[in-house]
Amino acid sequence: MNPKHNPSEERLLAYAAGSLSPPEAVVVAAHLALRPTNDAWVRRLQAVGGEFLEEVAPVALSADSLTRTLALIETDAGEARSTAPLNDMPELPEPLRRYALGPWRWIGPGIRARDVHAPRDGACRVILLKIDPGRETPRHTHGGVELTCVLSGAYATETERFDVGDLEEADHDVLHQPRVVSDIPCLCVVALDGEIQLDGWLGRLMQPFVRL
Amino acid sequence: MSAGGPSPDAFAHDRLIEAVALRRDREAFAQLFSHYAPRLKAWLINSGASPAAAEDFAQDAMLTVWRKADLFDARKARAATWIFTIARNRRLDMLRRDARPLPTPEIELAETEVQQPDDILSASQDAKRIRDALSRLKPDQVEVLRLAFFLDSPHSEIARRLDLPLGTVKSRIRNAMIKLRIILEPSEGAPR
Repeated sequence: MNPKHNPSEERLLAYAAGSLSPPEAVVVAAHLALRPTNDAWVRRLQAVGGEFLEEVAPVALSADSLTRTLALIETDAGEARSTAPLNDMPELPEPLRRYALGPWRWIGPGIRARDVHAPRDGACRVILLKIDPGRETPRHTHGGVELTCVLSGAYATETERFDVGDLEEADHDVLHQPRVVSDIPCLCVVALDGEIQLDGWLGRLMQPFVRL
Repeated sequence: MSAGGPSPDAFAHDRLIEAVALRRDREAFAQLFSHYAPRLKAWLINSGASPAAAEDFAQDAMLTVWRKADLFDARKARAATWIFTIARNRRLDMLRRDARPLPTPEIELAETEVQQPDDILSASQDAKRIRDALSRLKPDQVEVLRLAFFLDSPHSEIARRLDLPLGTVKSRIRNAMIKLRIILEPSEGAPR
């Protein structure tokens, strides 16, 4: 396993602590569902959080705090667990199944995308990207961070290959042109931040891609 | 850090949550509340909330503990970890305007369970290993990790609180994480 295709330790820590931005957390959750060893490590980090919670010096509550909470319990309608319905893509890992999905949009030859209606964070949003075998995205760079997890198939950049479960982090320093190298379409979940900047005249012709 | 350190009856908290799940046991809930609500309040005050808001949060998180007690599985996480995760998710929900809960595969999914020899440790053994590991880190490493868990936008806020350059905070967190992994997962092939 290429360690570069895993989230950084800081990102895993932020995920465990709950401080990762929501769109990035969606992509990391998908990655963890596909990488049990990293999932086990995140659980362990959450146990570190539990340990810190045990250790924190308690602050006294107001005298009627427990009484008020018990009163809330008495009037509690019970299950507040309103589970969102499953979406129409059973092939997705479980953490992605309960997000509503937008319609597939044609982006370019052999490239489709649909929105994942997960919480946004400023300009950062989540999409599913499906690219046919042999196709590539226009060469591009990013205004912000692009976090990608491969859900099926595989793609390669100029220097590296990304298989199912692999996570790629690209920022404005990375100019890349991922190409699908599997014989099935490559499905990815992507957190996109900032504008995509296309490179070259051909890329600039592909305006729909910018709509991502 | 509290003088007593980790509560010796932490294991008993697991059974209290189970009593809430099985019997809707209010006495068990009251005991959990008296232990965890003041700690949840402290956590929120540490992260910058007012005492009143912190208390509301503690009550709300404990109400979620009551509602979700049947999802608790002592084999996967001990009480403190589970309640920490519940509170973390509640906090995330409240911080978002678009308050759709994030998936929480770390607690609610059994399918992704990994069966590795190293992993067949009970949650309580794991908790002991984590305490041991934290005791082997340098105090300033434990401090940045603790702040990373308690603050909302950790790196810049930690830098401000400790009056350190951002780069120093980042490298300190990274070093703490590397050391934690070496101690906790020596078989994972981390550099030794």
